[in-house]
Amino acid sequence: MKFIIQLIFTIVICLLLELFFPWWTLAIGAFVVAFIFDNKGFPSFVIGFLAAALLWTGLAGYTTFITDGILTTRLNQLLPINSILITALVGGLTGGFGALTGSLFRKL
Amino acid sequence: MKIFKFSISAVITIALIYFLNNNWNFGSPIPALGKFLDPFHGVWQNAETKEKKTEKLKLDGLKAEVVIVYDSMMIPHIFAQNNEDLYFAQGYVTASQRLWQMEFQTHAAAGRVSEIIGAAALDFDRRQRRLGMVYAAEQALESAIENPEALAMVESYGKGVNQYIESLDYADLPLEYKLLNYKPEPWTNVKFGLLLKYMAKTLNIGDKDLEMTNALKLFGKDMVDLLWPDHEDIGDPIVDQAGKWKFKPITLDSLPLALPDELVNISPVEKPEKGVGSNNWAVSGMKTQTGSAILCNDPHLTLNLPSIWHIIHLQGPGVNVMGASLPGVPSVISGFNDSIAWGVTNAQRDLVDWYKIQFKDETRKEYLSDGQWKSSRKVIEEIKIKNGDSYFDTVTYTHHGPVLYDESFHGDAEKNHYAFRWIAHDRSEEVLTFYKLNRAKNHKDYLEALDHFVSPAQNFVFASVNGDIAMRVQGKFPVRRKEEGKYLLDGTKTSTEWHAFIPNDQNVMYKNPARGFVSSANQYPVDDTYPYFITSTSYEAYRNRRINHLLSEMSEITPRDMMEMQFDTYNLKAYEGLPVLLAMIDTTSLAPAQQAAFSILKQWNFENEINSLGASYFEAWWKSLFPLIWDEVKNSTVALDYPTDYTTIKLIKEKPDLSFFDIVGTPEKETAREVVQLAFAKGVEAIEEWKNTKHMEPRWADYKDTFIGHLLQGIPAFSHHVQHGGTGDAINASSRTHGPSWRMVVSLEKTKVKAWGVYPGGQSGNPGSPYYNNMLSLWSKGNYVPFQFETVPGKMKDVSSTLTLIPAQ
Repeated sequence: MKFIIQLIFTIVICLLLELFFPWWTLAIGAFVVAFIFDNKGFPSFVIGFLAAALLWTGLAGYTTFITDGILTTRLNQLLPINSILITALVGGLTGGFGALTGSLFRKL
Repeated sequence: MKIFKFSISAVITIALIYFLNNNWNFGSPIPALGKFLDPFHGVWQNAETKEKKTEKLKLDGLKAEVVIVYDSMMIPHIFAQNNEDLYFAQGYVTASQRLWQMEFQTHAAAGRVSEIIGAAALDFDRRQRRLGMVYAAEQALESAIENPEALAMVESYGKGVNQYIESLDYADLPLEYKLLNYKPEPWTNVKFGLLLKYMAKTLNIGDKDLEMTNALKLFGKDMVDLLWPDHEDIGDPIVDQAGKWKFKPITLDSLPLALPDELVNISPVEKPEKGVGSNNWAVSGMKTQTGSAILCNDPHLTLNLPSIWHIIHLQGPGVNVMGASLPGVPSVISGFNDSIAWGVTNAQRDLVDWYKIQFKDETRKEYLSDGQWKSSRKVIEEIKIKNGDSYFDTVTYTHHGPVLYDESFHGDAEKNHYAFRWIAHDRSEEVLTFYKLNRAKNHKDYLEALDHFVSPAQNFVFASVNGDIAMRVQGKFPVRRKEEGKYLLDGTKTSTEWHAFIPNDQNVMYKNPARGFVSSANQYPVDDTYPYFITSTSYEAYRNRRINHLLSEMSEITPRDMMEMQFDTYNLKAYEGLPVLLAMIDTTSLAPAQQAAFSILKQWNFENEINSLGASYFEAWWKSLFPLIWDEVKNSTVALDYPTDYTTIKLIKEKPDLSFFDIVGTPEKETAREVVQLAFAKGVEAIEEWKNTKHMEPRWADYKDTFIGHLLQGIPAFSHHVQHGGTGDAINASSRTHGPSWRMVVSLEKTKVKAWGVYPGGQSGNPGSPYYNNMLSLWSKGNYVPFQFETVPGKMKDVSSTLTLIPAQ
């Protein structure tokens, strides 16, 4: 249960930050939420990863859906792997490491 | 331990963010992945829909409200209440559809590509600087400043572009900026000049003086005259009115012809691209179904995405004009208004001369001119390089122009310095020509507008609602003595410099000829009685004859007929050349594949259609033959130019024993017959190999493989391959990467001017937009967009968006 709540919290905080600030505030959002929830390192990483990946994939997927995937098709050709997958990975790693750092900071 | 774990994690997080926030190059370039892929601000924000929008924007610098209606093709129709607002809005909407391209092309013109993509572009940039492109653009701006109308137009356009740039935050930036991780800079007035001079470079910088100098030394004058004649005795000149040139021409003091006797050891960096050329024609009402004149234009250029052209409709007090504009230049370049229509093709003229400079010493501060030491001017060019230190290049200017080649740039010897004189460095008012053409009401206005046009020299076709049709070859042309300007000139003497220019009213032109049509296709411009010496790198030999043949036979012409004619794929070169080549093949000893090729060629109807096999075999044969014949040129250690296809075929036919037919690398003595046979075998082999790799029949569209590449090195994800017929020598002059960059047909009917047009691309420069390439398939199938040419916004149909610009105060 805590997992789900922390996940939703991370998504919401990151979403709010991204509306006003640059992309890397994902890491800050994940950091803060992980700090507050005081979860263990590994679960925090997974939650941070999933939250950021879901947030980014969600918007990228929605964008693809409403634009008939015109740009997505081109990006798939431009990038070495599927564009939504790589978006998830890049966002996920940023959120994951942000959350891990937050949880480890709490333990100091 | 805890602090250790935390530190490691914190360092990884920060390093990761740093990595993902910057561009990298590990063999291949990697964008700033985090910034780029962030769906809230990055590339995903560039995905667009066809959603209909109605927007109102308050902008600084406007005087009154401007209404912009986008039609179903996303063509902006601008309705303004004064000239300043009209060009402000043109700048604004053009930037909103094409900002990255406008800036990239002006950066390319100014030799600033290294700033964006890194050291790989350094040689290109140095060449642009040494060509004096910025100097030329500044000359154009200087001229514009002196004319209040031109200045207001250029300034208002720039303000509009800048208002758009200022409105952008990272999420709104065109995709290419995000990919390369940089930002647009403010637009400056000189940039319109950079774009016009970039066109001048594409169209008018072609010359072969240095190559001809080498040819003269290697092969002698007689051979040069045979292989590279001034005038191939073929074709219909653009203006043919023998004996009617009644003016008194300017003459120069006669000088004994001084031909150079030396080899020029430079490696020219780029050749004018084959396939750059164009068609235009106008038919008078006596040949059309409606009784009104019809005008057609299709300029052939490198086909890129975003397209070089952008369609726009400008409506304001005293002006109602529509057509193709160049993103970055105010006004319409090839188009029509409610009274006239005009179009352009490139005028083939030698507008570049080379002078060998003798400097006093290695400081290059002084050079010899008529026995005196003149001071040179040095310009230090700083070329900024992405992720690197700036490169500083010193360019020496003489009174002729800049020294392009020296020991530090594509030359080999310390003493050989070559300065060049180029017409595009002269003061010029092209932007005023278009301002006036956009507003012209009749033939007189058209002539007056063209008087301001210096370069790149163009053949301007004209037709009016009044029923006039006309053609004028316009540019600033030096008066030349016979043979002058074909070879390297002695820079120590002023006698061979450009002393006079042909007065505008003595340029090649005529109106309403008896045959009922005017046309141009980059051929030799005029009949032999024109009293000035004309020289050029080459003249078109085939398209012009096909056009004139078709037009002279047609009557009751409709716009649809004209569209079909622009799409004509008849290959006159093959019609004339193929029988000559086939007759040289010994059919008794052909291998099966060769036998099959022979009969395909024999039955071919000379049409370069999508499904034609003969066209592919002919092309393969010709591509093998040409370098075999001209192996002396191909393998030369000094720069040489190739003779034309027309001359090559003529020599095969008339002088099959010419020494050039011998392949230098073989002990045997070949004549045309052996070379043609050998090339046939090689051509068939090339096709067989193609068939084996592609696993399909060599249909012409597949074999040719028309490619419309994105401006950024043809990135495959943003580029397209198209099924399209045509060939460089057909009216539909589409080769692999070049072709009709804009097709326009205008029917000048008294009740209403009707027009159709298309180009291989789309109005939006954004690869994430449905309007990025939506005209591509229309273009490739020979279809057109019927233009809406309304005088009030309310009459517009199929509106896709409306934008109202309101003054901010």
